[in-house]
Amino acid sequence: MTRYLVRRLVGTIPVLLLVTLLVYGLLHLAPGDPASLLLPEDATDADVAEARARWGLDKPFYVQYVYFVGNALQGNLGRSFRFAQPVTELIGSRLPATVELAFFAVLIATLIAIPLGVFAGARPDSATDNVGTVFGLFGISMPNFWFGIMLILLFAGVLHWFPSAGRSEYGVAGQTITGFYFVDSIITGNWAGVADAFRHVVLPALTLGCALAGILMRITRSAVLEITREDYVLVARAKGLMNRVVLWRHVLRNALIPIVTVVGLELGTLLSGSIIVETVFAWPGVGNLLITGVTSRDYPLVTGIVLMYTVAFVTINLAIDAIYAVVDPRIRFQ
Amino acid sequence: MGNRARLFGLVAGLTLLAMGCQQAQPRPQAGSGGAPAGNAAASGAAPGGQAASSSSGPTRVTIGVTETIESQNPYADSISLGYGVWCEVLGCLMTFDPQTRAYKPELAEKWEVQEPNTWTFHLRHDVQWHDGSPFTAADVVHSFNRVKNDPTSKQKHNLANVASIEQLDDYTVRMTTKEPTASLLSYLADLFIITSKAQYDKFGPDQIDRQPPLGTGPYMFKELVPNQRLVITKNPNFYGGKVEGPDEVVYRIMRETEVRVTALLNGEIQIAQFLPPHLMDRVNSAPNTKVVSTDSQEIMFLAMMPKTKPFDNKLVRQAVCYSLDRDSIIQGVLMGQGKRLDGPIGPASYAYNPDFQPRYTYDPAKAKALLAQAGYPNGVDVEFYTPVGRYVQDKQAAEAMTAQMNAVGIRAKLVTPEWPTLWADVQAGRTPFYYMGRGSVNDPGPAMSQYFETGVSPRIGYSNPQLDAMFEKERASFDENARKKALNDEMSLITEEAPACFLWTINMLWGMAKNIDYTPRPDLRIFASDIRVR
Repeated sequence: MTRYLVRRLVGTIPVLLLVTLLVYGLLHLAPGDPASLLLPEDATDADVAEARARWGLDKPFYVQYVYFVGNALQGNLGRSFRFAQPVTELIGSRLPATVELAFFAVLIATLIAIPLGVFAGARPDSATDNVGTVFGLFGISMPNFWFGIMLILLFAGVLHWFPSAGRSEYGVAGQTITGFYFVDSIITGNWAGVADAFRHVVLPALTLGCALAGILMRITRSAVLEITREDYVLVARAKGLMNRVVLWRHVLRNALIPIVTVVGLELGTLLSGSIIVETVFAWPGVGNLLITGVTSRDYPLVTGIVLMYTVAFVTINLAIDAIYAVVDPRIRFQ
Repeated sequence: MGNRARLFGLVAGLTLLAMGCQQAQPRPQAGSGGAPAGNAAASGAAPGGQAASSSSGPTRVTIGVTETIESQNPYADSISLGYGVWCEVLGCLMTFDPQTRAYKPELAEKWEVQEPNTWTFHLRHDVQWHDGSPFTAADVVHSFNRVKNDPTSKQKHNLANVASIEQLDDYTVRMTTKEPTASLLSYLADLFIITSKAQYDKFGPDQIDRQPPLGTGPYMFKELVPNQRLVITKNPNFYGGKVEGPDEVVYRIMRETEVRVTALLNGEIQIAQFLPPHLMDRVNSAPNTKVVSTDSQEIMFLAMMPKTKPFDNKLVRQAVCYSLDRDSIIQGVLMGQGKRLDGPIGPASYAYNPDFQPRYTYDPAKAKALLAQAGYPNGVDVEFYTPVGRYVQDKQAAEAMTAQMNAVGIRAKLVTPEWPTLWADVQAGRTPFYYMGRGSVNDPGPAMSQYFETGVSPRIGYSNPQLDAMFEKERASFDENARKKALNDEMSLITEEAPACFLWTINMLWGMAKNIDYTPRPDLRIFASDIRVR
């Protein structure tokens, strides 16, 4: 297992290099000059030229790239053009918000999709199945930005249950320790802060979670449907086990492999998929940062964030591989 | 699942639901005020957190803004919101008063020009930093050096015309410009932010921007949560006396229009910046909110590069201007929220002349005749570039202009590149014909020079020795009336020669709670001390 993981980790190095080269190259190929975009419209051509020189943009592409990789190997992703701060610090300050949102999105998705998928799969063509299928289609096909705005209009605008945007409220949020608002509030015993964090995360997490729940529900349904036809399920029923026990103990356990795979992949996607949701809900996460970086052609920032996404994706997939062994003891890594 | 686990799940679920929905009732009045910082929840803040109204407690106003202040370094960015906030919190030498169109003394109580290149600024003697230390000329010199030399500075262009600065005594500084610059104050007012030299010396370049910045202004820095909010609070020891604005102002970053409007109607914020015209009715029809419309200093125009055909011919450029029915576009596309420009600038800018005669009225027949006279009797094909989503209804306005130009034989093909591409091409002089805005036209001198003086910028590439001489004369005209006349002469010639058709300014719409009295400024600055809560 350890050897397998080490081998996988070593294998990611060329992937990371390729990703940085692609991102750096594409950003440079894209029209638009960071200096002219970031300086105001009354800046003179001389100001723009000075800023280009200061940010090293007057050097050839390969020099800039080699410089970036050299620094990145030492843990320095450079300094953002737009924010004039180290990229690692910027990402570090925004990551907790994105992770918090992704966690709640997955939680909501799992809580909705797995029971729905299991019931739908266990009783194909029943009313439950039809409702579940419609829900799944709804979740998959509905655009995030539209659903997010609808939730804001309903729950903030009409019902006044939740705030329309943001992550915390001024005056309620307390001291920042870990950057995770829930955790910080619990550590400091700020229960108003916990409630505030919950109120703010519900709508964006629901927006992300519903899309994920749609996919997850469909996967769960088909996995359950397939496994209920297996002989050992027939044997379990023949033994006289209650239907509920057969379903949750025997069927779901074996259906978990594809579910865990999808959750893992989607967790990686959530980190990037939350870009739109973070923008709609003014959620101060990495996705929001990436949007700003792309529109201002902030090369170090965008490359740094994509690198972070790649590392997150690879790590999550490794973790999922490790979880397979726990979920299904028959799986052994060579 | 055992019974105990089920019970636990039920209790946990109900607890979370109760936490989420606590105090979840619509507020009847979008107001301001209530609990001081830190006590909002305890005092019964509603979701989204505006503190409950209180007639006796401190007042707090939350403003939903579109720009973001990310750093405590006031020089690291160059955005309207930042200039306003830092000018009000840290300090600036003077501000521009849009009502009188004159400069209002702040840290500098007066100034004079001794020779064309030498300006002397006399500073107030009674100003203290928020920590009680005295403000002196050394702070102004230090700030000048930071703008010029800080590796993260994005404000060097503001002081590009200033060659040097020297401290004459504790309360006098002298600036020497590279060439006569009568419009120097337009580069300094609200833009040259003054920071504390002592604080910088104490913490050094690496740590200074991690400290709460020290200021001299009517408001003090309280909290910055990057990409979420900036909070400022009233300075009880302000040198200018009692500050009339709210006790606390929270700038909340909300880029989505729909979110700002919902938050305003929901009472989470009391002022929402930049509403599109189509949302006016929604805000106006709500019981507790209103829309306030204000003039803009951003001039919208069609640029035509004279070095490219067919715009090398002045008659074609004039034909374009005659082909446009600007009033109908303002009424139809901008829903009446715009003002027609008869010359390059509108009433919110310095040296605006209300007697400026409309040069190009809507006259399709004349446009066709001019086109024929220019050698294009059968019309001409052109590519017309417009940004999308950059300005209010930009694509729709460009589509309307395209139809009007087509009607007279200027067969325009509308091209809509994304903003970074278009802007890079415009900056490099690669876009012959485009719809664009120029903001911050407080003093028109620098903007006119940037677009129309030979060699200053390739954006239009226009060159006219007569106009160049007028620019030079205007920059050396220190008498106010003489300068205003010089500016108007320049603008008349530009309008006549038509390297650009000046179209309109677009009113800025702000949503506000009805108990807020605030007149937004045309230069996009937000000064908290201008806000009143009833």
